[in-house]
Amino acid sequence: MKKTINIPIGSQHIALLEPVRFKFECENEKIVGVDSDVGFVHRGIEKACTTKFKYDAIGYVVARVCGLCAITHSMTYTASIEKLIGGEITQKAKYLRILLLELDRIHSHMLCLSHTCENAGFEAMFMRIMGDREDIMEIQELITGNRVQFDYISIGGVNRDIDAALAKKILSKLELVRQKVLGYMDEFTNNWSLSLKFKGVGILTLDDAYRFNAIGPLARASGVQADVRNEIDYLPYNEIGFKMQKHTEGDINARNLIRLNELLNSIEMCNNILEGLPEGEIFTKLRGKPNGESVVRFEAPRGELMYYVKANGSAMLERVRIKTPTFSSIPAFSHIFTGANYADAPAILASFDPCLSCTAK
Amino acid sequence: MLTSFFKALANLFKTPKTIDYPLTPIAKDEKYRGVIEYNQDECIYCLKCEKACPPGAILFVPVDNPPINEKNKKGLKYHYNPHLCIYCSECVRACPKPQEALWQSNKKGHIGIKDDKINDDWFELEELKK
Amino acid sequence: MMKKIETSIDTLKKDIKEFYDYKKWHFLTLNGVALEDDMLEIQWIFSEYEVKNKIVVYYAHIKYDELIPSIVEIIPSAIISQREIVDMFGVEVEGSQKGLYLDEDSQQKPLSGCSI
Repeated sequence: MKKTINIPIGSQHIALLEPVRFKFECENEKIVGVDSDVGFVHRGIEKACTTKFKYDAIGYVVARVCGLCAITHSMTYTASIEKLIGGEITQKAKYLRILLLELDRIHSHMLCLSHTCENAGFEAMFMRIMGDREDIMEIQELITGNRVQFDYISIGGVNRDIDAALAKKILSKLELVRQKVLGYMDEFTNNWSLSLKFKGVGILTLDDAYRFNAIGPLARASGVQADVRNEIDYLPYNEIGFKMQKHTEGDINARNLIRLNELLNSIEMCNNILEGLPEGEIFTKLRGKPNGESVVRFEAPRGELMYYVKANGSAMLERVRIKTPTFSSIPAFSHIFTGANYADAPAILASFDPCLSCTAK
Repeated sequence: MLTSFFKALANLFKTPKTIDYPLTPIAKDEKYRGVIEYNQDECIYCLKCEKACPPGAILFVPVDNPPINEKNKKGLKYHYNPHLCIYCSECVRACPKPQEALWQSNKKGHIGIKDDKINDDWFELEELKK
Repeated sequence: MMKKIETSIDTLKKDIKEFYDYKKWHFLTLNGVALEDDMLEIQWIFSEYEVKNKIVVYYAHIKYDELIPSIVEIIPSAIISQREIVDMFGVEVEGSQKGLYLDEDSQQKPLSGCSI
């Protein structure tokens, strides 16, 4: 007789917000095998980028890969095209790009933390964080003119400038959010249902993190020094006070703390940018058509995002390869699930912060 | 225990974060990205906006009775589809006469969820273009 | 900067095994690029931890009917990219079956040069 039973989670599940299906092979309460199906929302964007759109429009197409990290997608694509054309953008445009990237990270991490709370059964905290996240959304709307699809970055610079009055408004809102994040730190370290319950659950050891090429907060919670912001030089991250966050436990609690610390660091970076924003143009017209191939990486809220672009000097590109963070973390996810309790599965999954519309692009 | 009791009590008298939507309008910024507006008297018919638009939401199509404008030599008429538009304002940046001929307003476009076959007229225009 | 190293499907496993130190190199992904004359370029992309802008790409030119060796024994996380390549280009990779995005019995190969 077969000893194991198969229990699926997803593709529609009350504790799961994304269209993903995991098939767990369980022996009593323990998960012994995992199979995942991620292709529910595949839209063929890579194909559309090489057949339907010209290179200067694709920045807006790839922004629609994902609603949460839209700005990182258009940023990475734009950086790779700028590399191929060989143009240099102004310092001010670079700083404004970082500002938006970090705001994006703040609201994405807040979303993840709120879902972690929801999966722990802490509905009130979920509502609180989601309510506070609204402030960040408002800042983004003030800067870009839209709440979700920002369309802020274009090839050669950014589309909108910020003035002194707006910068002041943003600074005061960020200070409010910072106070609230310090409050969450307290809850996430002292509240029983958010800290002790999560300790020792869903562990990824340092060795396994290296072996399975874990990325983003998942890797940093296990102690890997992997942050793409530290490994690139086309945005001046070292000038604005970027600090890499690291933990060694590798459990859900460590991932939450990594995200909280990154929130504080991102808010600090945004403050530094707004206080020391240089004067200058926000847009430089870049002439020429892209030619050659380039690999550009960026740190999206969930980890490393990579674009491979191959162009042949015409307006249509030959190949656009998008490697999204959740996609390359799936082997690590499956590894963490093996050996965990089935009852912990939703909580573990929420701590990964999966983004399936990125994965099936 | 006592602090949580006081917190809960204080929460009872706090104003809610949500707003009573149809009665209280949502605060809208004046720089909100809304529909693109066009002035056909000022337009010079360079067709730069049509080329720049990523989703192709602006079309200049030849018609029988074109708008009277001395620059309009080919008898074209401007068409705009707010349902296709992504409000990125690439067209305004491409326009040689921004704010006069073409500009971005902060008005919300018509929501077409309940309309039937909303893009059929547009597809006919696209056929004309080919 | 990006460094491209040519390899072939016969020597791939040996090359990657010699090159790959799992604490130094981060495996990014497997990528395919459709070339002319029914050829396909397969790339194995790596980056180095904590070093700025260092990317190493191993590539091999193959025909669509050739079997691509699997590197899962060396890099376990390559499995997911290998399955994507199988779906998108309709090629065969050792030990990876179709069905990540497409149906298991689908005849389509969306990104290959000779799509149906």
